[in-house]
Amino acid sequence: MEKPVIQVKNLYKIYRIGENKVRALNGVDFTIQKGEFCCIVGTSGSGKSTLLNMMAGLEPPTKGEIIIGGEHIERKNESKLVLFRQAHVGFIFQSYNLMPNMTAVENVAMPLTFQGVPKDIRERKAIKMLKTVGLGKFLDHKPGQMSGGQQQRVGIARALVVEPEIVFADEPTGNLDSNTTLEVLNLMRKIVHEKKQTMIMVTHDNYLASFGDKVIHIRDGKIIKIDEHPGGRTENTEYENTDIYPGGTLAVPGEEIRPDENS
Amino acid sequence: MKLSDLLLMSLESLFKRKVRTILTIMGVVIGTTSIVVMISLGIGMKEALLSEYESYGGLRSIEVESSGIYDDNGKEKNPEDTLLNDARIEEFMQIDHVTSVDPVLSVQVIIKCGIYECNTELLGVSRDVLEEKADALGQGSIPAEGEGLQLIWGNYMPAYFMNSRTNQYEYWDTGKAPDIDFMNDQMFVIFDTEKYYQSQYGSQDGTPVSAPKKYIIPTAGVIAGGLEDYNEDSFYVYCDIDALKAVLEREFRGRVIPGQPTRKNGKAYKELFYTRVNVNVDEMDNVTQVQQIISDMGYRAYSNAEWIESDMQIMNIIQAVLGGIGGISLFVAAIGITNTMMMSIYERTKEIGIMKVIGCRIRDIQFLFLIEAGYIGFIGGGIGILLSYALSFLMNKVLGLGAMMFDEGAKLSVIPPWLALVAVTFAALIAMLAGFLPSIRAMKLSPLAAIRAE
Repeated sequence: MEKPVIQVKNLYKIYRIGENKVRALNGVDFTIQKGEFCCIVGTSGSGKSTLLNMMAGLEPPTKGEIIIGGEHIERKNESKLVLFRQAHVGFIFQSYNLMPNMTAVENVAMPLTFQGVPKDIRERKAIKMLKTVGLGKFLDHKPGQMSGGQQQRVGIARALVVEPEIVFADEPTGNLDSNTTLEVLNLMRKIVHEKKQTMIMVTHDNYLASFGDKVIHIRDGKIIKIDEHPGGRTENTEYENTDIYPGGTLAVPGEEIRPDENS
Repeated sequence: MKLSDLLLMSLESLFKRKVRTILTIMGVVIGTTSIVVMISLGIGMKEALLSEYESYGGLRSIEVESSGIYDDNGKEKNPEDTLLNDARIEEFMQIDHVTSVDPVLSVQVIIKCGIYECNTELLGVSRDVLEEKADALGQGSIPAEGEGLQLIWGNYMPAYFMNSRTNQYEYWDTGKAPDIDFMNDQMFVIFDTEKYYQSQYGSQDGTPVSAPKKYIIPTAGVIAGGLEDYNEDSFYVYCDIDALKAVLEREFRGRVIPGQPTRKNGKAYKELFYTRVNVNVDEMDNVTQVQQIISDMGYRAYSNAEWIESDMQIMNIIQAVLGGIGGISLFVAAIGITNTMMMSIYERTKEIGIMKVIGCRIRDIQFLFLIEAGYIGFIGGGIGILLSYALSFLMNKVLGLGAMMFDEGAKLSVIPPWLALVAVTFAALIAMLAGFLPSIRAMKLSPLAAIRAE
């Protein structure tokens, strides 16, 4: 069997709030193979976003190892992490996080700018990528002139333009309505599969999670179940916009309780 | 990131916040302008002072005389060792930084013109020195070599003529100088002044003395200017040194020429020594050094350097104080820059976070902010310089403050190109320094906290 692209071993994250210790992650182990579409699903406060952030090197673990492509993420300092992200990682946000006064092309070309790619090449790549996500007619639109779905497509194009080996997506459809959600989800899956990229998506929605090749269920900082069904859900069944999802968990909308270690 | 992208991105983010950028830049403009204008006043004063010194005589020349019995350092000397002749001139030429050495032979003469007479020093100078005066002449020309003794008159000389009937200097008493036309009137020169006075007023032992020989010496030229114009030649009468030597040797054959050194037994030397020599130095800054060397050789050496140096020191202090006053406003502007950049970082926390997450290097983020601050300084400094030139022009030309405070044509405010360059660079550097703290802050923002910020 091929060596897994991501290995997470015995991962802990403990926040200290006053006298109390909050175990956001309480001993997590799993592996993800190259080309897999992995979904991490759980309720608010389950620790799923913390897990994603640590894999992307945005916050350090308290204990444990994260090995991506043979490199220990938890041992890197911030400038090494930036270089690592620049070279290997794409990131898709829930609230798109586009630069409001840049056009779609400029937004998508930005990661290439950071890599030092010359202007003409990066614009060509950005335009190609925008066409792939179906925004060929919106090249010079600014985020304010686009719908949520379109903005997220720009976000996807921005994440994928550097052809990363790994794509992290944090609730990428969280701000979208149900039809757009499925469109965006299928689009991500299609591109990632075509390019043999590994994608890790965090969601609170069991139904959306069921599209993944591998679904990691997480609750109170611990993995409670890992489903593997390579190929994932293929049929686009009608998406029920209810609070009770096929998985049976009740998702509570709203902000997760995230103690801010920086304040 | 490539430098061109860094420069462009920083510029764009400045343009995004136009009003704030303009206000911050205005602070730098005012700061730069006040420094530059203040320093330019200092430079203007310095230049006016220097040109005033120039009119007193060379700023780069040292007057050297033989030492007499004691040298400058109070040591007893044999005066013969320091008598000035051509061999000594050669020695001075060997000293570093010395460009030329001009001998001067000075004799006291009486010059008569009609009823007027003038007791003055006649300066025999080398041909080089004489020819340098050609441009300063208002009438006549420099005599050609070998034309015999001819005089070049300083423009102020008429004031020194005394009416021999009334024994009065008319210029001092009436403000009106004797009407002497140097070029056309006959000028009689008496070299043996002692004999002249004895013939006029009787000798000490009462024996009558016959009048000495009078020479009719033609005038070759007169220095340009009236009695109100001063320059370094105004107060002297010049002639060719070799022609003067020839005349003196003939007049005083076998006797001691007045002003010349004598042997211990009171007899004249065979050789005619120079009264003094002017040693010219390549740069003003080297004058003191060369002067010290010559003085250590046992000669008496004088220069304006000491005066100028102490005056320049005072001017430098004034300039530093003026610059410091201007510096305060640039300092305030720098605080403004820091403030603006801080605000900008708070506003852009999220943007910075996103940039970090999608792969902008930490160093590049710092550069972006430093460059942004640098732009503010550079643009502000540039505009400040233009404004300074405008103000300087206004003060000098339109208001004529320079001419009012100093001489005609003097400038109150002088901005040399180096000052403009230094000012712009300085403003940009100060701005980047002011932007350094904010840039560190931007660099240290945690990407996670930054993305969460709304």
